[in-house]
Amino acid sequence: MERLIEEIPNFFTYWNIIFLLKAMGVTLMLTLFGCIFGFAFGLILAIVRKSENKLMMPLRIFVVFFTEIFRRIPFLVTLLLIFYVFQIFQITDSLFVIALISVCLIATAFIGEIIRSGIESINMAQWDAAKAMNFSYLQILKEVIFPQAWKVILPPAFGFFILFIKDTALASQIGVMELTFAGKILNNKGFSPVLVFGSILILYFILSFPLDRFGKYMERKIASGRN
Amino acid sequence: MGYTLIYSQIYEFIPYLIYGAIISLQIAVLSFFGGLFFGLVLATIRTFSLGILDKITVVYVTFFTNTPQLVQIYFLFFALPEFGIMLSPFNAVLLGMTLNAAAYLCEIQRAGFLSIRQEELDASRTLNFNIIQQVRYVIFPHIMRVLFPPLSNHYILMTLGTSMAAIFGVEELTGRAFNINSETFRSVEIFSVTALIYIVITFIATFFLAVMGRYFFKAKMRIIQ
Repeated sequence: MERLIEEIPNFFTYWNIIFLLKAMGVTLMLTLFGCIFGFAFGLILAIVRKSENKLMMPLRIFVVFFTEIFRRIPFLVTLLLIFYVFQIFQITDSLFVIALISVCLIATAFIGEIIRSGIESINMAQWDAAKAMNFSYLQILKEVIFPQAWKVILPPAFGFFILFIKDTALASQIGVMELTFAGKILNNKGFSPVLVFGSILILYFILSFPLDRFGKYMERKIASGRN
Repeated sequence: MGYTLIYSQIYEFIPYLIYGAIISLQIAVLSFFGGLFFGLVLATIRTFSLGILDKITVVYVTFFTNTPQLVQIYFLFFALPEFGIMLSPFNAVLLGMTLNAAAYLCEIQRAGFLSIRQEELDASRTLNFNIIQQVRYVIFPHIMRVLFPPLSNHYILMTLGTSMAAIFGVEELTGRAFNINSETFRSVEIFSVTALIYIVITFIATFFLAVMGRYFFKAKMRIIQ
């Protein structure tokens, strides 16, 4: 215990703190961009899935397979699979890009489901009414469904984003310089694991807690607006 | 390019991987039920707001739900030996996953408890139900109908979460995939087969959970979302 207290000033030096904060930034960027792309692709997936055009049938089947598959593969395995596939095709050697693409794939599958359930939360009568007014499929979504459905979509989508801040810790396994990997490096340099992983835990908490609070607040605010 | 997929080299390892999947399921089931029980205790404390215990539970739940499971297990595995507690990789993962699951399952179960209205209990008391009958005929069916879908959802997520045990050297599905990978270097083949096994085991779990939920608890559950 005394050894720990002696080590504290050595650990919290300027450079170590900068190092950790940068790693924290990488974690945040990875999650943020992954989830933004995931949201965009998930939106497309949900729109394709709910379309009723016969020509879209193969695409719909593809979407079902895509979501069912990527929601059932652990993030770690997805990361490694993408990592090795990229190695074969020699597309990029940036580990950040590889991790980002893995986050995107998983986020697309999960957020696509969230958006679809949001679309389904709107009463079928509204679809019929809009169709009776000769709205096209995209018009119905844009003018009728999404203005109401975003209230159902946003809270769980934001919750997923917060969940993924924590799941990106696994990206350390392929060597992305994010928070957990920074912790491993500092630990390998000889700092006490109590100190290193303790501060990593606290930094994740600092990152995730305000967002979590904000998500809960948003959920309450939106929920009170609905009848 | 210059890389051809050769699956025939890893056929012999498939039984080895499937035994790994059984260990994965073991970890998932043990930590799920451990977390379920511990979460039930925490949810009870939260529901009846038991003074200081309530505050501790709130801190516990916010801390564990806002930090990554991986780092929690890192902490248990690397930091606890400093205090003289040595955990084997398997036990560290099991403990980490149980503690993490307890926090999430506490929140889920508390939401389930809150879904019971006082009127229902009053009505059952008017019908002269004793406490066991109340739990058996009123509380349990109602709670399970609300709780079963999110609980089974969390179980699936935990099955996927067991893959991080590989990082600590537990020889479960992903850990065994690592082993084969370092033996044959057929990385893409191995990890695609591993992914397939994960898809199959979670699909089987979803199927049985959905059937169970519909049959026993009349919960609205679908096999393919």
